[in-house]
Amino acid sequence: MSTTTAAPALEFGPILRAMRRNKVRFGLIAMEIALTLAIVANCVSMILDARREMARPSGFDDDNMLSVGSTPFDPAFKEEGYLDNALRADLEAVRSVPGVRSVTSTYFLPWQGGGSSTELRAAGTKGEWLRTQIYGVDEHGFETLGTPITAGRNFNADDVETSVALFRALRAGPRARGADGLPAQKVTEDVVITEAYGRLAFGGRGPFVGRMLEDNDGDLYRIIGTIDAFYNPYSWPIHEYSVFFANRSRSYEGGAPYLVRVEPGQGEAAAKAIEQKLLAVNGGRNLRVRTIKEIKGQFFGTKRLVSSMMSGLAVLLVLVTSLGIVGLTSFSVAERTRQIGTRRALGARRIDILRHFLLENWMVTTVGLALGVLLAYGLNVGLVSTVAGARMAWPLLVVGVTLLWFAGLAATFVPALRAARISPAIATRNV
Amino acid sequence: MFFYNLHIALLSLRRNSVLSTVIIGGIALGIAVATLFSTMRHVLARDPLPGQSDSLYYVRMDNWDPLKPYPGDDPTRPPTQITYQDMVNLMRSDIPARKSGMFKANLYVFPDPKVGRPSQQLARLCFADFFPMFQVPFRYGGPWDRQADEGPEPVVVLSEELNDTAFGGVNSVGRTLRIGDREFKVVGVLERWRPPVKFYDVTQLAVQAPETMFLPFNFLRPMKVQTAGNRDGWKSAPAPGLEGLLASESCWIQMWVELPTRERVEAYKSFVDAYVIEQKKTGRFPRPLNNRVTPMMAWLQEQKVVPNEINALTVVSLLFLAVCSLNLMGLLLGKFLARAPEIGVRRALGARRRDVFVQHVIECEVVGVIGGAFGILLSLGGLAWMNGWVKTLLARDGFFQLDLPMALFAVFLSLLAGLVAGLYPAWRVCRVPPAMHLKLQ
Repeated sequence: MSTTTAAPALEFGPILRAMRRNKVRFGLIAMEIALTLAIVANCVSMILDARREMARPSGFDDDNMLSVGSTPFDPAFKEEGYLDNALRADLEAVRSVPGVRSVTSTYFLPWQGGGSSTELRAAGTKGEWLRTQIYGVDEHGFETLGTPITAGRNFNADDVETSVALFRALRAGPRARGADGLPAQKVTEDVVITEAYGRLAFGGRGPFVGRMLEDNDGDLYRIIGTIDAFYNPYSWPIHEYSVFFANRSRSYEGGAPYLVRVEPGQGEAAAKAIEQKLLAVNGGRNLRVRTIKEIKGQFFGTKRLVSSMMSGLAVLLVLVTSLGIVGLTSFSVAERTRQIGTRRALGARRIDILRHFLLENWMVTTVGLALGVLLAYGLNVGLVSTVAGARMAWPLLVVGVTLLWFAGLAATFVPALRAARISPAIATRNV
Repeated sequence: MFFYNLHIALLSLRRNSVLSTVIIGGIALGIAVATLFSTMRHVLARDPLPGQSDSLYYVRMDNWDPLKPYPGDDPTRPPTQITYQDMVNLMRSDIPARKSGMFKANLYVFPDPKVGRPSQQLARLCFADFFPMFQVPFRYGGPWDRQADEGPEPVVVLSEELNDTAFGGVNSVGRTLRIGDREFKVVGVLERWRPPVKFYDVTQLAVQAPETMFLPFNFLRPMKVQTAGNRDGWKSAPAPGLEGLLASESCWIQMWVELPTRERVEAYKSFVDAYVIEQKKTGRFPRPLNNRVTPMMAWLQEQKVVPNEINALTVVSLLFLAVCSLNLMGLLLGKFLARAPEIGVRRALGARRRDVFVQHVIECEVVGVIGGAFGILLSLGGLAWMNGWVKTLLARDGFFQLDLPMALFAVFLSLLAGLVAGLYPAWRVCRVPPAMHLKLQ
């Protein structure tokens, strides 16, 4: 070891030789520190991983949105006209609640960890079918989600009426099919798509407005607008792909779900008011009002739980290891009381004794940390390939090493201080 | 001699209470953490039907798009559920001892208006075999018989919870309950049945509570029941509405069969393959033959019933215990060596190495056992805390419980930790030469 100052250089040798006489004890500390670094670094890596995922923005005004579910039991709801009137009355009622900015009728529910999907491709190509999420919304859909139209236009009330009528006609009976087995009469539906899906379907950059998609029945989807901010954790990897068509979503069996956007901070109050108001409008159903924050909390429940457990474990582990170092150094001090006294009697200052123990511990810690870095990578590779998680980032290890260096020094400090206070007179006494 | 050693060990622990607290506290923490996470994992991973699960098989067939495989992590896997038409055809086979297609649905229950408002309940539509197949426990009455499947007869099995809310918890067998648009006769009420993992349907959240009522599958058509589970499709239905769905390639039904012998398993696999090959002639099943008749435990693993995060936590917690054990080893080594003069005296007075060794190993095991006891208590606290969390997330009570195997595992871990930590220090200290320390005195 090349050194610039003389004093520490003189000390390394004796410390090393003294340590060699106590291989197991120092080996244990080094091993413990190595394992601690490996575990803590991997825990923190997994925590950061989970944090990143939880911090991912949906692109919507998550904090100020409510989900309202209305599930009818009154058989009157089985009739189409009744359903339509009930839906109109509901939307009007919700809109009149103070604090409500916007409401839409849609089966789309952010952060529930699912949704509906289909396969489309650029019309007229023989390209691959590309899976995308697909949802119906009315003209207030994007305003309610809080995701701006980036190109083209939003649906208007007429689009919604036209579309509702079209779906009603399609539901009335089987479609006549041609020789190819596909419907003879194709339909064209206006859609708003996410730019991510546009890039996927048309290879690269827009503009996408005005272009057409098709499904495997040959029906067409005319793109009238695009949105950019959209992320929904679907069970298949199509989180950023979505297509929206104009519709009002309701049925007897599926009920009528609404998304509501409220003024900041009005969520709780509006939720209560909406529930009461809607029940007053029509009592033949049950209602469930939840905040999107709550739904998101449930979606990430396990992740958050595991993260907090991991943090707890990491903290406890550093604590246990530090206590262990305190204990072992204390023994070391107790055992060497006479020698320390002798050194003091021969002229060593308190600071020399303190430095001796700190240096000794620092050397052990460093060996442990070097081993720990290897172990941490090993454990990470093992965990990533068999269990879960992402590759560990190296800055994490730098932080971990620094932290444990300090923890080791801090843990040694108390017993080392006690050693420094040993009186030189001890040397002259019998034990 | 053992009790004498025990006595010595306890005396030794009392002599330095701060050190003993650190020693025992460290190992208690290690045991607590390892027990807590191993138990959580065990609750999710254990065999829900020991003895029975080996003969239960989950059936899948690949009716997906000719152009691309069923989406998901593994492109070799067929869809997780099957179509209605295939279920109907598979139900005709007599090879399985028992069999049931099934799905879950939201249905309205209308209790006596004096008792409460109508409420939407999660129901399972299934066949009579469901109950004996999955060893569902009954409190009152029992399952319906196979004839009731055919009718279908309006019979229903209620969970204990729904029986409590709809009938005040009395024996309601023989009484009627309105579900959806018709009256059902209660034929059975379940005993408290809360398997942590909903092992008969892990296509969605595996830790969901079981449904609160069970109806004959064939009410699907007359009541126009929609699934509340996943419905995966790749091809548009030939017609709108329910009839279109039933004739479509949509996969939304879970299919279980009970195959008690190896021969029946083989016979059933051939039957499913032959069925699909037959169907291929009509133009269905355009993909290569890819049928799966998967044993229950393998299916639960494939569906990752134990989340990766829990596995990671378990690994980390066992490593945590290893660190605690190393820590204990260091502390015991220091503690024993500090006692070297005393041991020198004992050795000089005739104590054999073996006596010294045994004495110290026993002291280590005493530390292990006391630490383990505190650790198990701590882990019970941890589990209670976890259960509070599960309650807010899933609305389920007492989800994680320490069972006997895990309690024994915890005791085993404590003894092991004590032994691993104690062997070296005990060996080291028994090699103290008798004379050396006498000289110093």
